[in-house]
Amino acid sequence: MIVSPPRPPVRAALRDAGVAALLVWVVLMAAFVRARNRDFAARELARAEAAAQAVARDEAPLHPTAAAGVVRPATAIAGYPYLKRRKVVRGKVERPLGGPSAPAADKLLYDAAARFDAAGPFAALLPDGSGRAVAAVATRRGPAIAVTVEPGAPRGLPWLVVIGLVGLGAVLAAAGAVAGRSALGVGVSVAVLGLPAWTWGGPLLAGFALVVALATMLAHARGATERLAAGLVAHRVALSFLAPAAIAMIVLVLIPFVVGLGIGFYDHQHGSWTCVGLDNFGRILAGNGRAFDDPLNFWFILGVTVLWTGANVVLHVAIGTALALALHQRWLVGRGVWRVLLIVPWAIPNYITALIWKGMFQGEYGAINSLLEGFGLDGVSWFSSWATAFAANVATNTWLGFPFMMVVALGALESIPRDLYEAAEVDGASAWQRLTHITLPHLRPALGPAVILGSIWTFNMFNVIFLVSGGKPGGATDILVTDAYRWAFERGERYGMAAAMGTIIFLILLLWTVFGTRVTRKEREP
Amino acid sequence: MTASARRPRVWAMIAVYAALAVATATVLYPVLLVVKKAFEPGRQFALSASPIPDDVTLDHVRALLGARGPDGELAFVRHALASVVVALATTVVGIALACTAAYALSRFRFPGRRTALTTFLVVQMFPASLLLLPLYVLLHRLGLLNSLTGLVLVYSTTAIPFCVWTLKGYFDGLPRELLEAARVDGAGPARIFFTIVLPLARPGIAVTALFSFMTAWNEFIMASTFLTDEGKYTLPVLLQSSVGQFSADWGRFAAGAIVTSVPVMILFYVLQKYLVGGLTAGAVKG
Repeated sequence: MIVSPPRPPVRAALRDAGVAALLVWVVLMAAFVRARNRDFAARELARAEAAAQAVARDEAPLHPTAAAGVVRPATAIAGYPYLKRRKVVRGKVERPLGGPSAPAADKLLYDAAARFDAAGPFAALLPDGSGRAVAAVATRRGPAIAVTVEPGAPRGLPWLVVIGLVGLGAVLAAAGAVAGRSALGVGVSVAVLGLPAWTWGGPLLAGFALVVALATMLAHARGATERLAAGLVAHRVALSFLAPAAIAMIVLVLIPFVVGLGIGFYDHQHGSWTCVGLDNFGRILAGNGRAFDDPLNFWFILGVTVLWTGANVVLHVAIGTALALALHQRWLVGRGVWRVLLIVPWAIPNYITALIWKGMFQGEYGAINSLLEGFGLDGVSWFSSWATAFAANVATNTWLGFPFMMVVALGALESIPRDLYEAAEVDGASAWQRLTHITLPHLRPALGPAVILGSIWTFNMFNVIFLVSGGKPGGATDILVTDAYRWAFERGERYGMAAAMGTIIFLILLLWTVFGTRVTRKEREP
Repeated sequence: MTASARRPRVWAMIAVYAALAVATATVLYPVLLVVKKAFEPGRQFALSASPIPDDVTLDHVRALLGARGPDGELAFVRHALASVVVALATTVVGIALACTAAYALSRFRFPGRRTALTTFLVVQMFPASLLLLPLYVLLHRLGLLNSLTGLVLVYSTTAIPFCVWTLKGYFDGLPRELLEAARVDGAGPARIFFTIVLPLARPGIAVTALFSFMTAWNEFIMASTFLTDEGKYTLPVLLQSSVGQFSADWGRFAAGAIVTSVPVMILFYVLQKYLVGGLTAGAVKG
């Protein structure tokens, strides 16, 4: 190993100050945009309100408006008692609101008047994101309403401040390094950013800037940043190979995941979000106030899900291993053909499989019932009782899932050395003994991870449940993932509840994996 | 060899053949029903349990392939094309990202390696219901909602974790001496990766490519959530809507199911010798 020469302290200090400053700046920019939007909204709201007051006094508003006037109460039109119409008064002119030749902005006045009738005076930004504000104040003749015009471009980023502060920080860091108090220089140079942080984000953000400054200072002083930088350089090849996938995963999986976790703490109803803390989780775990045997109680659904996963995995492994053992017999004729045919279910898209089986289980015309009748049995109304609907789901999923286990088991079987069997046979071991003492122990290391993976897939197997039984009867065969989907899309867009449910599912699977890998690892290291 | 080649007992042979016959019949029965339905007149699913059609017609296939979209184009071809493009792009993007990541995790030792490996395992557990809404918002912000590009990005990241684990198993099994020799000869990391590792790992790459392809080819929840423009629907969304709650046309569905499944079946058939063993390479070595 060649020992790399020590890095010049000025460069290291500048680098650390730069990285920490960048971190603080990203947060600062968000705060700046937020503060700017808040000022902007306040100004527009004040303008709209002033304009509405002016309209109420029959004066000209100070700032231009897109629409303004006093809206009269709705009155029925003579001859058409069910058609109501409102009029708008502006100064001395009175005209009907809306109609074929009216300006499009009349719709804004009409909506605002309706909102005023329901909730009284208000001032708000239009929800179209254009930055226009609307205000309504009460007069004796009806609400006086004003809509402001679209405001001009917002205040630009203070680039001079940015450049000045970063430059000042760099000078401080460099000076610190030259003076020998490198860490102090780094800390102070980042702490400089606390100044704009205070004006845009208040003491909280300024505190954040100071904490980052302090942390960087400590890390710099202890050489942690130096080691990190050296590590990045030393492993640059490996990290650059990993980076594309890592970035894609972070942006499209990890960030949505964290956002999803956050949504679990909010409640979404009728388009508005409210933070409710742990309420969603509490409600779910308390069974949403339902009895334990109610199909919509969380614990009932969890029970169904566990039963569903267990039944499927057991059947997959049993059938898959048995068929793999059969296919592995050396004297078997046409092994390739058997194998191709048995893999077929895996190749068929699982939503198609689910729909086919749904069709086969249909009560009156279904193939399964026709088969049963062919054997002299009565047809079954598959989706009207829990047990039969559940059985239909399991049958479908077993059909589509066993080939995976079979292929995994086949691969493991092929890796068992033949001489082990020969030695066992020479020693006089029976076929059963060879199976239990050679074959099955060798299958375990391959099947262990496959079982964990398979159980995760089955636990989250949305398509089969959703498409085959659809939760029938009455949601009793729903599993956790389909229930979460229903919270989001079928019960009034309760996204918060769906996300909380998703979080619980994730925690259950995480526990199961930790437990499962520990068990398989223990088996592998006797 | 000699010992195993000994003649097996007759009852064992009967049992094995019977088990295989029963399993194969169970596997093929639904498939035959679908084939029957695709070529049999009528919209109902099945009026009899027999997998042999009474009457043969090409009406369903013709109706499926000949349906015209709003602009007079062939609707099925359009949706099939969308599906093919999405699936192929997902395969290419997913494999490119998974190969490099798996190689880094297999050949290099660096801090954070274990964390990365665990992360690739844990993300398999994220339920779709948790990701659907944030992804919707994210794609909306990026202007990728209702676009096939957005779908490709989401699908490739869904496929990556499994591909990374499978490929890592493959790369682990490559002879270390070979790579060491190449390095001594002065080949850089990129050159070793492209000229030695990738060609050697071709079977593993084939298997993972198949999985990436299937992920995209079979997915319908995200496709139906993120695509609002009917003209952009992928095949799963199209097929699922053909047997909706109120107007189930099983004949057309069956024809579509066959057309959709055949490409994957062909891929499976071609790649099946890689499939056995390709999956366990990673598992056995952990």
